[in-house]
Amino acid sequence: MLSFLPPPNDYVIIAVILGMPLLGAFVNGIWGNRLGKRAVRLMALAAVGASFVASLVAFMSLAQLSEQEKGAHVKLVWNAWEWMHTTGGQGATVPIEVKFSIDQLSGVMMLIVTGVGFLIHLYATSYMEKDRSYARFFAYLNLFIFAMLVLILGDNLPLLFVGWEGVGLCSYLLIGFWYENPANAAAGKKAFIANRIGDFGLLCAMFLLVQYTGALDWNGIANGATSLVHPGEAYRVHVWPLGGGHYEGFLHFLQPDKPYTISAATAVGLMLLLGCSGKSAQIPLYVWLPDAMAGPTPVSALIHAATMVTAGIYLICRLSFVFVLSPFTMMMIAVAGALTALLAATIAVVQNDIKKVLAYSTISQLGFMFLGVGVGAFTAGFFHVFTHAFFKACLFLCAGSVIHAMHARVHDDDKAQDIRNMGGLRKWLPLTHWTFAAATAAIIGLPFTSGFFSKDEILYRAFVDRTVNPENGVGMLKKLGTFSPPLWIGPVLYAMAVLAATLTAFYMCRLYFLTFWGDFKGWTVGRPSLLARHEITAPHAPDHVDDDDHDAGHVHHEDPAKPGYAPHESPWQMTIPLIILAAFSLFAGVLNPGFGILKERPMDHWLEPVFKAASEKAVIFAHGNDASWAEHLEWPLALGGIGAFAIGTTLAWWVYVSKRGEPAKRLAQSQPGLYRLLLDKWRIDELYEATVIAAVDSLAETAAAVDKSLVDGILARFTSLVVAASGTILRAFQNGVVHVYAAMMVVGLAVTGWFFAVPHPNATVVDAGHDDYVVTAAPGVGYAYRWDADGDGKPEKQDFGSDTTLKVHVEPGKSQTVNLQVRNSFGLVRTKTIQVARPQEPTSSL
Amino acid sequence: MAIVDISHPTPSPTPRPEPVSFRGGQLVGLFLLAVAAFAAAFYFDHAIPVIAAAAIAALVPRQHGWTVRGPIALMAALLAVFVVRMWPGAAAATEAAPAKVSEVGHLLSWIVWLPIVGAVAVLFIPRQSHTTLRWTTVLVMLGTLALSLPLLRVSMGRTYHFNEDVLWLPRFGIHYHLAVDGISLWLIILTVVITPIATYASFGPIQTRIKDWCFALLLLEGGMLGSFLALDLFVFYIFWELMLIPMYVMIGVWGGANRIRSALKFFIYTMSGSVLMLGAILYVAYAYAQANGGVPSFDYFELQRLMLPRHVQMWLWAAFTLAFVIKVPMFPVHTWLPDAHTEAPTAGSVLLAAVMLKMGTYGYLRFSMGLFPEASSEFAANLAGVAVLGGIIYGALCAWKQEDVKRLIAYSSVAHLGYVMLGLFAMTSASIEGGVLQMVNHGVSTGMLFLLFGVIYDRRHTRHIDDFGGLAKPMPVYAALFVVATLASVGLPGTNGFIGEFMVITGTATSTHLGRFAGVQAMGAAMGVVLGAIYMLMVVQKMFFGPITHKENKRLPDVTARELVSLAPLAMLIFVVGLFPNIFLSQIKGAAERVASDFEARIETNPAPKFYEGPIKLAPRRPDAPKEH
Repeated sequence: MLSFLPPPNDYVIIAVILGMPLLGAFVNGIWGNRLGKRAVRLMALAAVGASFVASLVAFMSLAQLSEQEKGAHVKLVWNAWEWMHTTGGQGATVPIEVKFSIDQLSGVMMLIVTGVGFLIHLYATSYMEKDRSYARFFAYLNLFIFAMLVLILGDNLPLLFVGWEGVGLCSYLLIGFWYENPANAAAGKKAFIANRIGDFGLLCAMFLLVQYTGALDWNGIANGATSLVHPGEAYRVHVWPLGGGHYEGFLHFLQPDKPYTISAATAVGLMLLLGCSGKSAQIPLYVWLPDAMAGPTPVSALIHAATMVTAGIYLICRLSFVFVLSPFTMMMIAVAGALTALLAATIAVVQNDIKKVLAYSTISQLGFMFLGVGVGAFTAGFFHVFTHAFFKACLFLCAGSVIHAMHARVHDDDKAQDIRNMGGLRKWLPLTHWTFAAATAAIIGLPFTSGFFSKDEILYRAFVDRTVNPENGVGMLKKLGTFSPPLWIGPVLYAMAVLAATLTAFYMCRLYFLTFWGDFKGWTVGRPSLLARHEITAPHAPDHVDDDDHDAGHVHHEDPAKPGYAPHESPWQMTIPLIILAAFSLFAGVLNPGFGILKERPMDHWLEPVFKAASEKAVIFAHGNDASWAEHLEWPLALGGIGAFAIGTTLAWWVYVSKRGEPAKRLAQSQPGLYRLLLDKWRIDELYEATVIAAVDSLAETAAAVDKSLVDGILARFTSLVVAASGTILRAFQNGVVHVYAAMMVVGLAVTGWFFAVPHPNATVVDAGHDDYVVTAAPGVGYAYRWDADGDGKPEKQDFGSDTTLKVHVEPGKSQTVNLQVRNSFGLVRTKTIQVARPQEPTSSL
Repeated sequence: MAIVDISHPTPSPTPRPEPVSFRGGQLVGLFLLAVAAFAAAFYFDHAIPVIAAAAIAALVPRQHGWTVRGPIALMAALLAVFVVRMWPGAAAATEAAPAKVSEVGHLLSWIVWLPIVGAVAVLFIPRQSHTTLRWTTVLVMLGTLALSLPLLRVSMGRTYHFNEDVLWLPRFGIHYHLAVDGISLWLIILTVVITPIATYASFGPIQTRIKDWCFALLLLEGGMLGSFLALDLFVFYIFWELMLIPMYVMIGVWGGANRIRSALKFFIYTMSGSVLMLGAILYVAYAYAQANGGVPSFDYFELQRLMLPRHVQMWLWAAFTLAFVIKVPMFPVHTWLPDAHTEAPTAGSVLLAAVMLKMGTYGYLRFSMGLFPEASSEFAANLAGVAVLGGIIYGALCAWKQEDVKRLIAYSSVAHLGYVMLGLFAMTSASIEGGVLQMVNHGVSTGMLFLLFGVIYDRRHTRHIDDFGGLAKPMPVYAALFVVATLASVGLPGTNGFIGEFMVITGTATSTHLGRFAGVQAMGAAMGVVLGAIYMLMVVQKMFFGPITHKENKRLPDVTARELVSLAPLAMLIFVVGLFPNIFLSQIKGAAERVASDFEARIETNPAPKFYEGPIKLAPRRPDAPKEH
């Protein structure tokens, strides 16, 4: 079977997988408007579809290969060309190739990206139907798929970085897709810059890896990984003093008693973590993701929920063998994940914009994934990436469908997304309602849905797993005393995660009930916004077309006196993807069910070779190494997840269905401060604005001011002032009065005359060897010389002669004074004293 | 390249109908093209240029005819030929049956003197015949470009090629010595490519004193080429000063409102450095004469033999380095650059940024590092700190707060050249390679940014960033090109900027010459990547996105044929360097390794005190130097 396919070490089908979306982007971007919408649609769908089919073929080859190799870590490789090279730690050349590979991990990820990507493309063909920049949209979207595939399939870190930045660029362009609104463009910029801060981490990680492991491709890093934990002091990264310096003098107070060092593995890990938390929207860099919702809804589904934002988790999984070398980094990943999950969930509880709720929910779910990989349960974390791709894409697309329907009624971007204006939509949008319900069931962890299995596994592993260095206590590392996470961290993380899960159940049900249950509240909203809209549009030029106006037709033949159109269900291009994604949300759990339901869990088994190096080496169960202790805990710990689901859902039902939201209103009124704080997202944006951004901003202001006043002022202005001033002073002498000139001439002549009338004795000393030195007097007109070789003030000869040199013998370590007297033709005599010193012979140091 | 929607039709009073089909003539043309492409596909190597030409020609926006498509397609084809022929593997394949290029002729002299002779020739063309003047100038420049193509056919390796060494003034040991190696090769190519582009682009905005303009440009090109090729310090100094005058005139005559002041500032800054350098050159030759029994020499390879004690070497190094550092420019002697750039005409800015600033970095690499290795090594760590803090970070912060777009791009140059200098100070093979490549990259992307800004300046005659806004709507092609240049400037992987920065950063991290601060400095350089994104995206956002706030901007015409033809090659180069950097690196590698190993050799011979201490004497000639004349 599949024998016609290329060999695994030159698997050119990867070129098809990558090339099709690129071709689509190219064709649509350049000729899009000339081709017309139908052709653009065909091109975009064909590009991603073909890529998906090629991915399936590649996946099958991989499965076959994996079977042949009996479950070893296998790769399909395509080496395109050598990109560049750099030098490693010992001056060795590190080639960096444009090389792509598919292994078990990237194979799954590739299927998610092309598969879910195709569904979302299909959805978008209808959703964006009325947009002026239809072709541009699909060009960007195809380009995104290409960049994401480069990120996944790249076989080395710089190539991954190409995709990493590429998806960031597409995200930037798509968030600011409707760029005429400055807020959208600003949101795009914010996303790009937050990601760039992460990229700083990635760049630093790259140079550290080059320096320590001498490689940047996955195999090379794996081979050289042990040098990252070399115990020698010189091999560690000196954090303070910077780079291992030494502070002296007035800076001495900065010098610590013992330099603070971390292992290179920790440095690399923390830098990578910074990169990952930028891309995957974790504390502290999560703030860009909620703003990113300014982009069209399919973009939010594809980029900001299903694929791009999981790139950080992908990278952690990809370099798991590096991360596990640093238990501290692993703990930081888990803690960052748990904190983010909890923080984002609290914000999501009070948001009213349907997309904002989903955005915070995404951040929260990404936090769960971080928690999973952070405790060393890489498969569990990655499985959550897998299930989340389906249910969150489904939720976003449903939200798009809802907004699409609401927009037809309300004609206002913000109001069409406000859940307070919705309600009872299940009557008009039955398909959307059921698929939304299915995806909600998955995200809140209704037992036996996909989300239940993936989240439960993370909760369970967070409790029992922790990463310590396997060689801790062995040999060299014993002296070093490497960090190991405290025992209490597992239960704490578990508790935080359960709380976050409870909040998830609550806010998702709140969203679901407010949107689809109760009465429709949009009837009263439509009118004023419609009028307001006309007022806004009126002063614009006639060629102004609002890109966001999906149903521009409705505006013109609507009678303001009548209630207007009812919301309507979306066309099949939008509902088919919803149904498929909903089905996956419900049933994808069978790929990795816990509780011993299946004898061998397919996903676990499939990914085992990828994480073998990492999990065998470093993940141990918290309670000694007793696996059975952990197994016994699986059922009891599952109660936490199920309880979170039950409590959250019941509470939401009670508040928003039984009591019609009254308790929530009352609570908000009784705690206005807290409510505002949550509504304002804990004012983290404002905090950043006031601290980091303000600091950099004022630093830049200072730099610009210093440059203008000080640097330019001193070097250019002050210098020119000095020149001008001396010119002014000297000009005073050039006053044109002949008497003054004559007087100055006389003074000048007198000074020069005196100089020539007096002899100027001078001499040079040259080492002549054999402890002899030759003193040579400088010549002059009419000079005669007299020497005093012993320096006693009495010259050897009374007469002045023409002897210009004198030889002096000096013992080592001694010095001698020589007097030289010079007489000129006027008979004036001047004396100069010369010291001839000979240094001590150096004692042989051999 | 479809970064921003280029498919909006240009705004016109009546909405243009949307033609979905092609006209008959176009169809025939397309068909012929397709046939040609397929026919050529049988010889795959040869098909690549055809396909590239066709693809790029198809990218040209609809409103431009074949007069634009043709030249752009030709340039694309030439670039494709270049990529195919220069492919590192391909060189090895042709070596089996070598069409060996003869290196004996006077090729380098031709390259240097053709523009200068052309400049003199221009003087004999009547002042009124503008077209003749312009086309003579461009043709001479293209001729120079054609002449320098044979340089590419030689595999550079570690040594010097096309060596031309004539004893000119025997009494002073002054040689007329030109040679090219892996370092100067790409700077030569950059010069001969950028100069005609800038010249061609200037034919729109420059409408006065055409004759003087053409003369200045040709003289400038000759001066720049001479400085990159001269390996005799006396000759180098002549060309170095020759290059200064045309630029001074260009700023002073065709510049903006404050042109006289800026031109003067530019001249005095540069001159004060070069006079010091002249003194140092004379002293080096004198010292050589002392060690060589009274016979002086200005020849680079002879002067490399000089072993100078610490106190001498330090002062000489300082004089040379100050001259180069002013030219680069590095903090704190950089303030002439924003002034010169803002007032210079577009072509002047382009040449200043793309080529003339490289003279400083090239000079440091060739002369400061080549003649005074110990001194360079001793101060490397400190200067690297200046390059990171004063260049990469400070330059970026200053750029962020500029309200004049040209000033902003000028400060971004300070930041980018900080990377180059950091690479040179780090002195590892990768960082030097990265530094040299970054010189070329900066030339391409900043040159393009200045050209692009010239486009809008010709339309609006303002440099103030707040006078723009929402330009993506009326000028989509322009916006797309600007975004491409911006992305190259912020070092997005896949564009040229990334390669240089990446190699410099990784090379710096592994450097042993920077002592314990290598890691910290690499981190600082990586920080510059974040700052770069901040200020460049700020420009893009303020200029192109958001609503149109000034009604003058509403009906701006998109790029014209001339502008598109001059911008297209740079846009293509951004991706060629970004995707196939090995073409360039394989030629630089040998020379970079030579510089690094020369360094190690000099410093290893004197282990404990790094400096040679003792009387001035001559060491043997470097093994990679060309044979003595």
